[in-house]
Amino acid sequence: GDIAFRFINYVRSVRERQLQQKLKHHQNLSWQEIAESYLEDKFKSLGDSQVVVCDINKEMLKVGKQKAQQLGYLEGLSWVLGNAEELPFDDDKFDVYTIAFGIRNVTRIDLALEEAYRVLKPGGRFLCLEFSHVSNPLLSRLYDLYSFQVIPVLGEVIAGDWKSYQYLVESIRRFPPQEEFKAMIEDAGFLKVDYQNLNLGIVAIHSGFKL
Amino acid sequence: VRCQLSPPQRPLQASAVLRRVSDEQKKEPLASSSQQHFNSHPTDHQPEQEPQGPRPSYTGQGGQESEDYESEEQLQHRILTAALEFVPEHGWTAEAIAEGAKTLGLSVAAAGMFHSDGSELILHFVSQCNTKLSELLEQEQKLVQLGKAEKKPTEQFLRDAVEARLRMLIPYIEKWPQALSILLLPHNIPSSLNLLTSMIDDIWHYAGDQSTDFNWYTRRAVLTGVYNTTELVMIQDSSPDFEDTWRFLENRVADAMNMGNTAHQVQSTGEAVVQGLMGAAVTVSNAETVRAVR
Repeated sequence: GDIAFRFINYVRSVRERQLQQKLKHHQNLSWQEIAESYLEDKFKSLGDSQVVVCDINKEMLKVGKQKAQQLGYLEGLSWVLGNAEELPFDDDKFDVYTIAFGIRNVTRIDLALEEAYRVLKPGGRFLCLEFSHVSNPLLSRLYDLYSFQVIPVLGEVIAGDWKSYQYLVESIRRFPPQEEFKAMIEDAGFLKVDYQNLNLGIVAIHSGFKL
Repeated sequence: VRCQLSPPQRPLQASAVLRRVSDEQKKEPLASSSQQHFNSHPTDHQPEQEPQGPRPSYTGQGGQESEDYESEEQLQHRILTAALEFVPEHGWTAEAIAEGAKTLGLSVAAAGMFHSDGSELILHFVSQCNTKLSELLEQEQKLVQLGKAEKKPTEQFLRDAVEARLRMLIPYIEKWPQALSILLLPHNIPSSLNLLTSMIDDIWHYAGDQSTDFNWYTRRAVLTGVYNTTELVMIQDSSPDFEDTWRFLENRVADAMNMGNTAHQVQSTGEAVVQGLMGAAVTVSNAETVRAVR
């Protein structure tokens, strides 16, 4: 959901800039034409851009929809129930596939990657934001300490749920490190695969293209 | 090259787009060498391609016998070439690259493969122009060798070569100041300088420069100065068919030829280089201002 909102904001800002540039170039537009272009922009502020938000869990989708309504994102969004290992979409449909902190929870990551490849258009981009491995030894120790001693405790105190946060921390550790995940993405068929570490590796963004 | 080292299935899945797209090209000089790479793969993997579902129409034929795989680099070059068409409208930007990708049937997300400042697009263009210039000079040389044309005096040759090269900028001249300022960015300077020097080398080579002494450096520096200053004049020239620029060029080349002894040459070289740099600095600051205003 959050990425969808950011994307929509981005598309709107790009279109606004394009509209401004267009108007600047055509200095002699009548007021009628200018008004029309603004009106058109209002009704179709996203142009042809659409975002599809997909999740395996109905509750998550509900939360997402509520948030969208609260923040005022009404157009260009669709919400689909689906499994990342078997997406309910046709081949070659999307320009970009993003998954944030989700692929860790998929049982067969390789299947999810293959599905991502399938539904992307040629030239499309796969982007994955996920917890990853810290190579710096000092930070790694501190991070482990924090993960195993502090997070579950906070989980219990604040949410009354020790187990979920234990699972969270363990699943982070189980997830393959940056290079290995990069190889998995390449195995699914993506090219120009690369990753960027954030916070020294606590989180990483992997990117690949379907070429 | 990377494709060779990975497990057998990957190149077949990965290069679905690349392979088909290269089918359309009749003359792909690198295709034959890449064919050798992939002949080692067992052909029983071929049938796996078929059941992968409907493919977009640009692929043309459904069954593929050809093993012309295209490398990522070649695909990137094709995207950049296609993007040039959109430069007059969008400038040297990721938007132009995205439009170029679209014409090749790729998603606009493919523009994400490149730097967001358009560096690669500009460098690609410069490299293409240099190649075109080399071919032009090569052809001219052949004509002379075959006796079908007169050998031009050096001054004339240099003038014509520089003019021919600069004329290639004309379709993009409006956005060229933007390109120049990007080429001067620190991370681009190695590449752009490299392209410039090899172009100048080329011109002197075809001009019949046989020198192996100190003059080799001087000649290159002088011609570089001539080229750069003329380029800067050109982007601010509004005369019909840039006749002011060509007159400026004529004068500069005449100056260069009239330099007598070495000492004088060294001094003039220094001056030419300084002038070129000053002009460049002024242009860049102007271009930046213009860009900021836009």
